[in-house]
Amino acid sequence: MNDQRQHHRLSARDLTLGYDESRAAVVEGLNLDIPDGEVTVIVGPNACGKSTTLRAMGRLLKPRGGAVLLDGQELSRVPTRRIAQTLGLLPQSPVAPEAITVTDLVSRGRQPHQRWWQQWSEADERAVTGAMALTDVTALADRPVDALSGGQRQRVWIAMALAQDTDLLLLDEPTTFLDIAHQVEVLNLVRQLERTVVTVLHDLNQAARYADYLVAMKAGRIVAAGRPDDVVTAELVHEVFGLEAIVIPDPVTGSPLVVPGAPVPGPRSAGTSHMRKAPIT
Amino acid sequence: MTVTTPPPSGTAQSPAGYAVARGRSASFLVHRRAAVVACLLLIGLAGACLAALCLGESTVAPEQAVRVVFGLSSTDEFVVGTLRLPRLTVGLLVGAALGVAGALIQTVARNPLASPDVIGVTHGASALTVGALTYGVGSATVLPYWSVGGGLLAAGLVYLFAWRGGLHAVRFVLIGIGFAVALRSLTQLFITKADFQVAQQAAVWMTGSLNGRGYQEAEPLAWALLLLLPAVLWAARAQRTVVLDDDTATALGVRLGPVRLALATLGVLLAALATGAAGPVDFVALLAPQIARRLTRTAQIPLLCSALAGALITVLADVPARVLFSPTELPVGVVTAAIGAPYLLWLIVNTRSGGRA
Repeated sequence: MNDQRQHHRLSARDLTLGYDESRAAVVEGLNLDIPDGEVTVIVGPNACGKSTTLRAMGRLLKPRGGAVLLDGQELSRVPTRRIAQTLGLLPQSPVAPEAITVTDLVSRGRQPHQRWWQQWSEADERAVTGAMALTDVTALADRPVDALSGGQRQRVWIAMALAQDTDLLLLDEPTTFLDIAHQVEVLNLVRQLERTVVTVLHDLNQAARYADYLVAMKAGRIVAAGRPDDVVTAELVHEVFGLEAIVIPDPVTGSPLVVPGAPVPGPRSAGTSHMRKAPIT
Repeated sequence: MTVTTPPPSGTAQSPAGYAVARGRSASFLVHRRAAVVACLLLIGLAGACLAALCLGESTVAPEQAVRVVFGLSSTDEFVVGTLRLPRLTVGLLVGAALGVAGALIQTVARNPLASPDVIGVTHGASALTVGALTYGVGSATVLPYWSVGGGLLAAGLVYLFAWRGGLHAVRFVLIGIGFAVALRSLTQLFITKADFQVAQQAAVWMTGSLNGRGYQEAEPLAWALLLLLPAVLWAARAQRTVVLDDDTATALGVRLGPVRLALATLGVLLAALATGAAGPVDFVALLAPQIARRLTRTAQIPLLCSALAGALITVLADVPARVLFSPTELPVGVVTAAIGAPYLLWLIVNTRSGGRA
């Protein structure tokens, strides 16, 4: 795992990103190598540029400067269809067309492998059935997507991205809007995938639990990157999030667990006295 | 991609709701419900065509009408073959073209209101055509070019004015309606400038009429539609990803900008060609795609069913247009407007501000 000559099919070189020419860059001079076959998680406070970086790596955003490299080639010079055969991306809040059924949506993930005259092959069938089984949406096959719950819907979208059958998969905050049980379900699914995954997560503890490689960003720069065990420290949490916290081993996994300081006593603190007894050490 | 284990059935199944049509190295997905709806619409259309041939100032027996269509000798050859059949042909082609045009533009704009007969495309086509008639530069052979030019010009202007670093659906529709009104006034201006005979010709044309239309309008339109058919087949496939949100479609390797532009241009061309042949037959392009989509329950607007629904509406509307105040014939556009206008109002009242199709 700690092989020095580890391969990186996807990387960012001197990446400068922004949405509006007149405004300041969101990300500046960012360099990042995504380790192959592992789960990379990008974390950071709101508006630190983590989603922006992910979007640029999935050619949804054109870099203002620098480049994203896929297999050594500048992303902007590779035909978008060819990118789609290697690199899949699930955006933050995808919108399903009205009344589309689950299988219909998942099967549209096969687009980059199909031609006008080859609309359905055995490979298509296998990829779609496999993706639906893996995400546990097979039973929902005929249901309209807009009638599903948030958790089910997210699994359907992930199934669509999986059906695309790419070696690399980017997921932009796949757990947002999900309750804790569904969050864990999605993250477990991500860990089972036998492919390179890059995902943006909000929750630092989940990131520490599920990442092979953790990237912490702040104000458009990478503050730290590495194994969660090496990277997640009280100092880092303070530096990145400006939060006082202690880091203890997770009682279940042993991965670093960030515990923020005690809540500020409120006007009704007499009723919540147990909170005051836990000063940060 | 290598095949490791063949699936148990030996051949690929299809996604739920679809059937796969398979050739030697080709395979096509066919939406089952859409196929059934298309068959039903086709049967309905055949019935409507028969009614259009039989009903009128003089009633013709159905079997005589069928004989004429198949080139057999008949006592009603003049009424059916010379008077009604050419007019019916124009109606079918115009309706089908408008149905597909509406479907494409509504898809690209993601808004059922953004139909070529609402956002000024057909009005642009009319304005230039009437202008050409007025100033004597529009002979029958070049008129279609004027309407296509007018349609493209109007679409381009609406796009230009609606673009603010992005295209907001509601702003797009409102600017389109504004242009439609302005272009209609321009057309009126041309009519008042024209001499009496041209003015009367233009006024009838303006309401969208199959009155006196025949093979000289049908033939160029049929050729144009035949030429555009490959593009329409491509469009039917392209729609599958264009209906997804922008990010998802891009992630699937779709070059969204060029694809959208191509779909919209195709829609504008079809609408303008239809307008060139019969004048602005209002609301067919607005209604047909929505009827088709509601019947098929597909995720994207089905093009074949839109074409059939468009043809059906136009042919059906032309029957009362001819019969109701016989011997005076109403323009078909008056009848389609009577059906379409209430639907347009309903749509506007029920549109959420997001304006999703």
